[in-house]
Amino acid sequence: MSSIGLLHSPGRSGLSLVALGLPVLLFVIISLISPSFLSVQNLSNVNAQITALLIIALGQMIVAISGGIDLSVGSVLSLTSTLLVSVDPTLSIPTVLLVGVCVGLVNGVGVAIFTVHPLVMTLASMTFLQGLALLILPVPGGSIPGFLEALVDFSFLGLPAAFYWCLTFVLLAAFLLRATKFGMRLFAVGANAQNAARNGVNVTFYKILSYVLCSTSAVMAGMYLSARVASADATMGASFALESVTAVALGGVQLAGGVGSVPGVIAGTITLGLMTNGMNLIGVSPFVRASATGVLLLIAISLQPRKAIGA
Amino acid sequence: MLVLETGADPSMEGPVPAVEFVEITKRFGSTMALDTVSIKGWAGSVHAITGENGAGKSTLMNLLAGVHQPDAGCISINGTPLKLENPKAARIAGISTIFQELTLLPNLTVAENMFLGREPLKTAVVDRVKMRELAEEALARLGSQISVDAFCGDLSVGEQQMVEIAKGITADAQIFILDEPTAALNTPEVEKLAELISRMKSEGKLIFYISHRLDEIFRFCDEVSVLKDGKYVATSRVSEIDRDQLVSLMVGRELGELFPVRSTSRDQAKALLNISAIAISDNTPEVSFSLSRGEILGLGGLEGQGQRSIIRSIAGIEAFSKGEIRKTSRETDIAVPITPTIVEVAKAGIGFVPEDRKTEGLYLTLSIAKNMALGMLRELSVWRRARVRSDHIETLLHKMRVVAASANQEVGALSGGNQQKIMIGRWLASNVDVLLIEEPTRGVDVGAKVEIYNLLREFADAGGAVLITSSELTELLGLCDRILVVRGGALVAEFEGTEATEEEILHAALSSTAENYNKKEEVA
Repeated sequence: MSSIGLLHSPGRSGLSLVALGLPVLLFVIISLISPSFLSVQNLSNVNAQITALLIIALGQMIVAISGGIDLSVGSVLSLTSTLLVSVDPTLSIPTVLLVGVCVGLVNGVGVAIFTVHPLVMTLASMTFLQGLALLILPVPGGSIPGFLEALVDFSFLGLPAAFYWCLTFVLLAAFLLRATKFGMRLFAVGANAQNAARNGVNVTFYKILSYVLCSTSAVMAGMYLSARVASADATMGASFALESVTAVALGGVQLAGGVGSVPGVIAGTITLGLMTNGMNLIGVSPFVRASATGVLLLIAISLQPRKAIGA
Repeated sequence: MLVLETGADPSMEGPVPAVEFVEITKRFGSTMALDTVSIKGWAGSVHAITGENGAGKSTLMNLLAGVHQPDAGCISINGTPLKLENPKAARIAGISTIFQELTLLPNLTVAENMFLGREPLKTAVVDRVKMRELAEEALARLGSQISVDAFCGDLSVGEQQMVEIAKGITADAQIFILDEPTAALNTPEVEKLAELISRMKSEGKLIFYISHRLDEIFRFCDEVSVLKDGKYVATSRVSEIDRDQLVSLMVGRELGELFPVRSTSRDQAKALLNISAIAISDNTPEVSFSLSRGEILGLGGLEGQGQRSIIRSIAGIEAFSKGEIRKTSRETDIAVPITPTIVEVAKAGIGFVPEDRKTEGLYLTLSIAKNMALGMLRELSVWRRARVRSDHIETLLHKMRVVAASANQEVGALSGGNQQKIMIGRWLASNVDVLLIEEPTRGVDVGAKVEIYNLLREFADAGGAVLITSSELTELLGLCDRILVVRGGALVAEFEGTEATEEEILHAALSSTAENYNKKEEVA
């Protein structure tokens, strides 16, 4: 009963003071230590650095709320990158989107119909797709279609393109979760799939859809990142699988399913972004940063309210 | 046996039954869950479906709820045969099920839960305003104060049940299935439910009331149908039957045949286990009692009154804040205090058989022999070679009359009764002298029940002692030498098994909350 009490305050958002306060705290600390942090140039750098991760983390959040996990997002990002420079520019966007949807379908069908554990299922597709990406483009390079580069390199009302990319996906994800039937049913499936089914929710469909949306988000992140660096790399996304899970967990999303929110994921992503940027500015070794992130994750998670929904 | 007419007086309720089960048959693997069962339910009435555990009550209702489909036979709603392929189809047919284990999602609000699966839409967006309005309306009709914005995980079980019923009302259901609705309710909540049921009845709904509690059947219901071992036994108007007749229909034999003869070897002076003033926390009542050699002691009362906590604190699973448990040692015959941890309790020769065999008790994918051996190996050190004494196990299996192909069969494939025997057998194999058993025959058919009762009696007669919790009055009355009634975490009454009656136990279990409160104060 007391564990249910914990659910009372953050509801199903998983939001807590820790999740929301951590990026603010980091922001204050870094700006005190490093004067150059608060420059417009640097802040817009941070924004650009976290955009791809934010897009993927939003997709990861959807899968996590359904009770799953998707490790293949990084490989999908990499594969997107290699395809963008390998197929005819006019076909590039449809191709990568189709690939994204297919990967999501395979993951989703494996998990929801063949009941493969999501960790194993997406680990398999992650490994497979990484190999495929390296086969397509063994050496980094190539040129990204011009219109894509234009899409990531504009500024409007004094705000950079990265901001609008973030805004688009944040609004989209928030709309899906809060306003649609999909959002409500996703939470239901994640909390207790059997009971959701008893209420007439097609659990299989919603699980598969969540993986499709997640893979598609990875394709979007791949397009953004490739266009930003103006070149392709078959290992570009390698770090994203674990970083997206970290961001999601920092943001109060529970990997057991049924709990999570867009503001939480934004906070988690910014926290990770600030760790990288801040330590860069202060001149800390990236290896130290990696270790520090691990410790931070553990501390943040231990301070958050947790509950196995449905218990 | 009585011969009873089927169905009610058609002149009163109209000629077409709201629900008719026609020769329904359902198998699960090799188990015949329902065997050509036919029952009629009339609009504006409460129809009890009763029978022992495993009689097929829930299976029948799951067919009506669209959770399972019959292998043969059909279900007619208002005279039209319908195929209820899934829960959604059942809902569209006007059937609302309030499952025993409630199906509300803890992370959705009351309003969301009530409309999950049929959300009102405004273009592509869920119309939350309308959803809240309709939810409020339905709850208001039930006279409920529950906020539609509360998360269901924060509600009490009684409130959740209310929400489930309100959900049926918003779905415009004509047929309600209440599956053991009082299992988790306290007394005021039961009163509220009674009110609800009569209101639904007056609105012309048909209510199927699944229960094996006699007093509820006689209080709430108009008709009662009895199932036994998956077969239809009889239907009668409640006003035309008495308790004894109903019990003999349910059990299919006289109560006396079900239970072994009580022992004479009980030695009240020789306490094997002594529980003195244990309390789960500082504001729960203290509980003291002792368990004698040769005795079977039962903890009764309504469900959720603290029986579980008491037996589990003795088993070392739940911690208690004060008090002491002493057990007479086998070797020295001196009562020594026991450290209440699972390992120490087992070492002291106390075995615990949890209520939920599947998740807490057995290793379903391991063989019978391995499951049993885990009890015997308990006393070995970690590095000793784990030999499975197959001869010993075979003897035990034979003695317990476990029906299995061989000792190598997976436990998950066995029937509930055989699984329960394995659980008990595991402790017998490890040579304990006290058994703590939660609901010893839950989900077990009548034949296996008798064998389990005999097994427990033999164990007690051989110098052991057994403590059980049970929500079945017949079991408490028939099996136990002594019965303690638990209410609000306190022991409120004690009965000798030979002298107690159902009414006395129920009265003690149900007495008013005010009285209950005084008891608590006394203890404090």
